[in-house]
Amino acid sequence: MTWLVWRQYRLQAAAAAVLLAGFAAVMVVSGLQMASQWHAMLGTCTTGGGHSSCEGAPLGSTIGHDFEVLSVMVPAVLGIFFGAPLVAHELESGTSQYAWTQTITRTRWLTVKAGWLLLAAAVWGGAVAALVTWWSGPRNALYGNQFQPNYFDVQGIVPVGYAVFATALGIAAGTLLRRTLPAIAVVIGVFIGVRLFISDVVRQHYIPAVTSHMSFLSTPGTLARSWDLASGITGPNGQPLPQSSSVNSFNGVPLASLPHACQVLIGQASRQAMVAGDRCLDAAGYRVYDVYQPANRYWAFQGIETGVFVALAAVLLAITYAVVRRRDA
Amino acid sequence: MTAAIDTPAIQTRGLTKRYRRVTALSDCSVTIPEGRICALVGPNGAGKTTLLRILSGLARATGGAASILGGAPRQDPAFLAEIGFLAQEIPLYRRFTAEDHIGFGAHLNPRWDGASVRSRLGELGIPVDRPVGKLSGGQRAQVALALTLAKRPRVLLLDEPVAALDPLARRQFLGTLTAAVADSGGELTVMLSSHLVGDLERVCDHLVLLAASRVQLCGDTDDLLATHKILVGARKDTSALGRAHTIVHAERTERQDTLLVRLSGPVIDPGYEVADVSLEELVLGYMGAGGPPAYAHLTAIGEDR
Amino acid sequence: MTWILWRQYRAQAAIAGALLAALATLLVITGVQAASQWHSALAACAASHTCGNLSNTLFLGSHTVGFLVIMTLGVPVVVGMLLGAPLLAHEFEAGTSQFAWTQSITRRRWLAAKAGWLLLAAAAMGGVVSGLVTWWSGPNNALQANAFNPGRFDIMGIAPVGYAVFAAALGITAGALLRRTLPAIGLTLAGFVALRVVIFSWLRAHFMTPVTSYFPLSRGFTPAGSAWQLAAGYVGANGQPISIPQSTNGAVMGNAGGAGIPISSLPAPCQSAAGNGPLTRATYDAVVSCAQAHGIRGYVTYQPAGRYWAFQGIEAGIFVLLAAALIAVTFAVITRRDA
Repeated sequence: MTWLVWRQYRLQAAAAAVLLAGFAAVMVVSGLQMASQWHAMLGTCTTGGGHSSCEGAPLGSTIGHDFEVLSVMVPAVLGIFFGAPLVAHELESGTSQYAWTQTITRTRWLTVKAGWLLLAAAVWGGAVAALVTWWSGPRNALYGNQFQPNYFDVQGIVPVGYAVFATALGIAAGTLLRRTLPAIAVVIGVFIGVRLFISDVVRQHYIPAVTSHMSFLSTPGTLARSWDLASGITGPNGQPLPQSSSVNSFNGVPLASLPHACQVLIGQASRQAMVAGDRCLDAAGYRVYDVYQPANRYWAFQGIETGVFVALAAVLLAITYAVVRRRDA
Repeated sequence: MTAAIDTPAIQTRGLTKRYRRVTALSDCSVTIPEGRICALVGPNGAGKTTLLRILSGLARATGGAASILGGAPRQDPAFLAEIGFLAQEIPLYRRFTAEDHIGFGAHLNPRWDGASVRSRLGELGIPVDRPVGKLSGGQRAQVALALTLAKRPRVLLLDEPVAALDPLARRQFLGTLTAAVADSGGELTVMLSSHLVGDLERVCDHLVLLAASRVQLCGDTDDLLATHKILVGARKDTSALGRAHTIVHAERTERQDTLLVRLSGPVIDPGYEVADVSLEELVLGYMGAGGPPAYAHLTAIGEDR
Repeated sequence: MTWILWRQYRAQAAIAGALLAALATLLVITGVQAASQWHSALAACAASHTCGNLSNTLFLGSHTVGFLVIMTLGVPVVVGMLLGAPLLAHEFEAGTSQFAWTQSITRRRWLAAKAGWLLLAAAAMGGVVSGLVTWWSGPNNALQANAFNPGRFDIMGIAPVGYAVFAAALGITAGALLRRTLPAIGLTLAGFVALRVVIFSWLRAHFMTPVTSYFPLSRGFTPAGSAWQLAAGYVGANGQPISIPQSTNGAVMGNAGGAGIPISSLPAPCQSAAGNGPLTRATYDAVVSCAQAHGIRGYVTYQPAGRYWAFQGIEAGIFVLLAAALIAVTFAVITRRDA
């Protein structure tokens, strides 16, 4: 059966290998360039991380950055080409009538086929993720933004989880819909929807966030490599002030809700006025607060998110097994 | 898996298959002994494909039971090894060659005789290294049959295998089939569906007739031909005859009746000429009535209700 | 033929219509909200004279909707993959081309009807999505002045119409050449992404020769309106750009979008004017006038805002021309090949 899967997917595997090699070539060349730029910087920047004086310095090439952004599509593409046709194509073309009357149960047939393709998806997704993570090394060191949305999604191990999920989604959709093209459409739509929902709504709640309060007078600590969820100002009573991003605001809080004396100082653009404004707010008992996920939780979050997507994939596979066993060919 | 000495190769009891609004099979009961080549005939849409798919485990019945060599169709290598199935559209992988399919079969079947495929195709002059999609319809059907036989099944289920073949190809195909059955020494049972009865007459020794989703006939062809006769006589009232025997189909002109009759005993009335019936006439007679309710009470020959 | 196409593609048309309607509903509701946010913010900042800082303090709309808007970048390629690639490939795979091509209609007319309607539909879909996004982005464009920037340029105006037509044509041609749907989808995806990356990353900046403006260090310069800033830096008295090493300790700030020029890159007299220790207001001004005296100026290379529609036209034009070429290839292939 494994041999049959290999014969069936030989061409696809070759195409995927060529594309991966091309991607790797671009990322390696661009990454090496970035790394040497970074090493040149290292001696001379003050890397306070996030407030480094190197910020804004050009780092890397356009094409490398484009490919890094595009790599977010890779799991969906794997789901489309590895997952959607797996069962659907055999049902569409009738070859399931051949395959399912050989001396192999449908369960074993599905296990071998899906098993290899899920593995392939994990490997390809992992290879792309490894390349992007390595490529991002200098940028992560400089800006420490790997925990931020969009950057988090293309580095580490979550892309492997996404790839496995997208492939399982394609397999399930193809089995239920029995046709490849609608299955592809479902993969695109559902994958995007689920990813958006989890990254925008669910991810921040994996572990309850940390809230820290700071005085306006203290030097901004480093939240580098952390994931900043929200920040604002607490009033003299210790309660957060209501935020509004729709009017002229300071740290998210409408200027009008701050003490008038401080407002005047903040509104001016000079450095001395800013410092005086900070002192004014501090004297009035106002504090800054930050709600964030600390940097040391990065791998825990990576692991949890990967686990979530792998669990979803398992559910989809269970559904697929049930349908394949029961359905007419 | 060895069946007991008198276990039929194929048996169904009250088999029913309903889709959302359509009933494909209704209360079908057939028995086919081992070693037979059974023709499954009937008009298009009668349910022949559905029956074959249920027997091979590709589809699931909504009511009743089916068994092959004593066991129900199920997801079990022991069952799958015993059956061979060939669908009407010859669903081989069109990009792959016959040689590729021999390789697939070797990997997917513990009992596999790849050499037989090569020798059969060699005899017929069919290339094994050309993509199957590029062969002619007849060649493709031969490849598929050779692959199905190489599996060494004990029950072979073929759905309209000769529908797309020219007369010579049909001859060759049926010839291969008969030879395979003969070589098997009575171990191989074949059920093949077709609506071309004339071809099957030479090859088949058992018949199942499906019409309007129901079994109209099931039995050895010799028995069937022996118990059905054509009665020709002057036009008159046939109710007495109908009580003594069963009138399957009647063609009445102004002066003459031609009746296809299933005899329950000797024909007493001397006013009728009794003639033998051919398989084709028999089948047409049962089908020509349109499978109407009038014959719904007919029991299959050999079955007790 | 048109009626046949309608019957064949009814389901797809219904789904596409439903998705467009959903997008429209979402964008109209949130867009109206954002517009009123924008107007009240304008009124508020006008009263307190803080409008210059608005782009840093005001955030319009929601992150989620904003992300969906960015994802409309994918609409053209999805149209090409799901509608363009199967158009011909499916007929070959299913064998129905043998049916279609033995009706009393020539292959040319058959292809013209099929491809013509699909290209029209692709243009319409690209246009509707782009129109919605352009309208929705109005306040944001005014606030951030970034409509010409890569990424935003690609989802507004008429460029998306060009992309959609090209992607559909690419899918059709891939299907005609490869005759199988899945490989055609793959080719469409790869080809579209490759071309877009090439034009986006390299060619677009050069559609017209960029404008370079020089400015004295004491004043700074930002191109007016929604210009597309390509590069910025400093030149010495000889007109040669001053290369800025990657450290920026103790910068003299020019307003050239990014890091300032390090003191260590200045001529010796200006370095000594800076003295040791942090820059005060007085020493800062001294360094600046010394540098200016030595002929050091800042420069910005950009595409002026006024060229926005010219660039949109050129980009859309390139993609439409390529689409036409692909369709010509398809006609040649279809009329010559065996069914």
